Amino acid sequence: MNLRNYNIYFHTHTISGIIISLILYVIFFAGSFAFFKTEIASWQKNTPNSVVEKSGTDMNRIRDTMAASMDLYGRDLYITLNERTSRMTVSASASKDTTIKDKGGFFYMDATSFKKQDYRKSYDLGEFLYRLHFLAPLNVIGGRGFLFGYYLAGLVAFLFLFAIITGTLVHWKKIVSNFYVFRPWEKFKTLWTDIHTALGVITLPFLFVFAVTGTYYLVSFPLVTQPTAKVQYGGSTDSLFQQTIPGRTNYAFEDKKLNHVPDLNAYFKDAQQKLKGAELRNLIVYNYGDQGMRIRISGVNQQRSFTEPGTVIYNGKTGKVEKLTPIDQKGSYIKAVDSLVYSLHFGNYGGNIVRILYFLLGIAGCIVIISGVMIWLVARNKKNIPEKKRRFNEWLANIYLSASIGMYPVTAAAFIAVKLNPGADRGFVYSFYFWVWLVITILLVLRRNNYKTTRDCLLIGGLLGVAIPIVNGLVTGNWIWVSMRHGYTDILLIDLLWTVIGITSLVTWLLVVRQQQEKLLHKLSPSGV
Amino acid sequence: MPANKKHLTASPWQRLLKVTAAFVGGYMVSMSFHLLLMAFMDRTTVFITMRFSVYILWAALMVIAFLAKNGWKIWGIYLGLSLIFFLPYLLKMMGK
Repeated sequence: MNLRNYNIYFHTHTISGIIISLILYVIFFAGSFAFFKTEIASWQKNTPNSVVEKSGTDMNRIRDTMAASMDLYGRDLYITLNERTSRMTVSASASKDTTIKDKGGFFYMDATSFKKQDYRKSYDLGEFLYRLHFLAPLNVIGGRGFLFGYYLAGLVAFLFLFAIITGTLVHWKKIVSNFYVFRPWEKFKTLWTDIHTALGVITLPFLFVFAVTGTYYLVSFPLVTQPTAKVQYGGSTDSLFQQTIPGRTNYAFEDKKLNHVPDLNAYFKDAQQKLKGAELRNLIVYNYGDQGMRIRISGVNQQRSFTEPGTVIYNGKTGKVEKLTPIDQKGSYIKAVDSLVYSLHFGNYGGNIVRILYFLLGIAGCIVIISGVMIWLVARNKKNIPEKKRRFNEWLANIYLSASIGMYPVTAAAFIAVKLNPGADRGFVYSFYFWVWLVITILLVLRRNNYKTTRDCLLIGGLLGVAIPIVNGLVTGNWIWVSMRHGYTDILLIDLLWTVIGITSLVTWLLVVRQQQEKLLHKLSPSGV
Repeated sequence: MPANKKHLTASPWQRLLKVTAAFVGGYMVSMSFHLLLMAFMDRTTVFITMRFSVYILWAALMVIAFLAKNGWKIWGIYLGLSLIFFLPYLLKMMGK
């Protein structure tokens, strides 16, 4: 390869990588747990999913519960069922009848008790980790209207894409030959390099997908949608979305009330007949109670059609089917891309196996990031580099590692904290997580020892991790075997996940400590044996 | 092991030019290229493709900008390309 190009790839890879490393680590670490967002919520609230039969959900009762707190006339209602949790999301837009002043809202509703809860009240650790992974808590920095956290995360995701491309170019020639090289007991630099390249190559497709789709989710609106709308759609992002997002249609509000109350259950039942084989997840009512009312019900069956949801739209006035898109109809390119971007990022297409695999790949991404920082540090820790620069590098790596590795015990502790505090709301999760994280980071930074940071975080995180299912058992009585017997798969998943994580890190801790002791002995013995 | 300095840009001005060409110029070229496609092809199809293609092309253009020998030149090229790609829209605006 051209020597000049090689060095440029190398340098730009290093610089972009070191700039984004800490934030990217937070994104990957929190994001890995966010795959189990709904399970974490069920686990924290102890509301197992097993009892609920989603196809029989009483849609009328949902509507009536909503109607108790607001006049539904002229609103768009969105009801979303999730097969992994008994918690449904229900939201209502503002009414198109301007005489109805009260706002709509976003709520959670339990599928068994139909109790409505607002978003803030039922905030949970799953939601926290999910939102932390695109830096939503940082949005306050930009003030109203400027989504600082999202844009920062988007920028990091895009620089990550750049780092993936340059990294692949650097490694290109050795991509096959070095794949099988792993020298864990050699000197540290080769260890970090081997981890970085081997895991980097294994996770490459996964990382690439996440860099691209992540950038799309966070910055596409200001950088792509708005400029495109400006030159192509008369400046209106609404009309752009209507033409490009499948299922986004505007039905005219006629401002004339219907004289019957719609039976949503009947529509839901009928849709089950019409979309046989699909799992119905969404029910949308446009212009509720108006002559222009439409009911749109959709569902998926990813075994039969990976990217195509089946949809049926009813006219609310006549009750007739207006449009039917069966599930195995040959799909359009637009729909395919639309759902593919979502499915690939959220890993919702293959049940728990895929999400566990995604989780592991995400954690592997974290290790790629840390080993990259370590290469950066070790490669610059040489005699020919000025003392001042070396000290700066050490501090920087020290802060990076303390904050990122410290996240592991903090996350484990947060699981225990929300279990012990049944009233844990957003304020509690925020202050617990962020304060503990800050304190731990400062302590680790002051100690200035990367080995001890890793060692102790593995130990504490491992112990806390193993303790999580025990605490859950003590608090709720849902021990692992109880959950297993009752088929509470969601609660079981979190308990088992932490058991495995905990044991794995304790074993790693043991290996790390042993390795270090051997090294010390080696140094102490005068013969060098 | 850090990259050999011999092959990297030494002048801070050149470096600034390359970084901005990579980041800003790359974005302009990528965006205007897709807008050009929109002018001649089905715009919905192009728009949905842009969900991934804009960023991949932009990142590739970033790499190319850093490979350039001269920061002025690459800025010139990226500006020129953006203008050419944006031409249909410029003509429309002037025609108004």
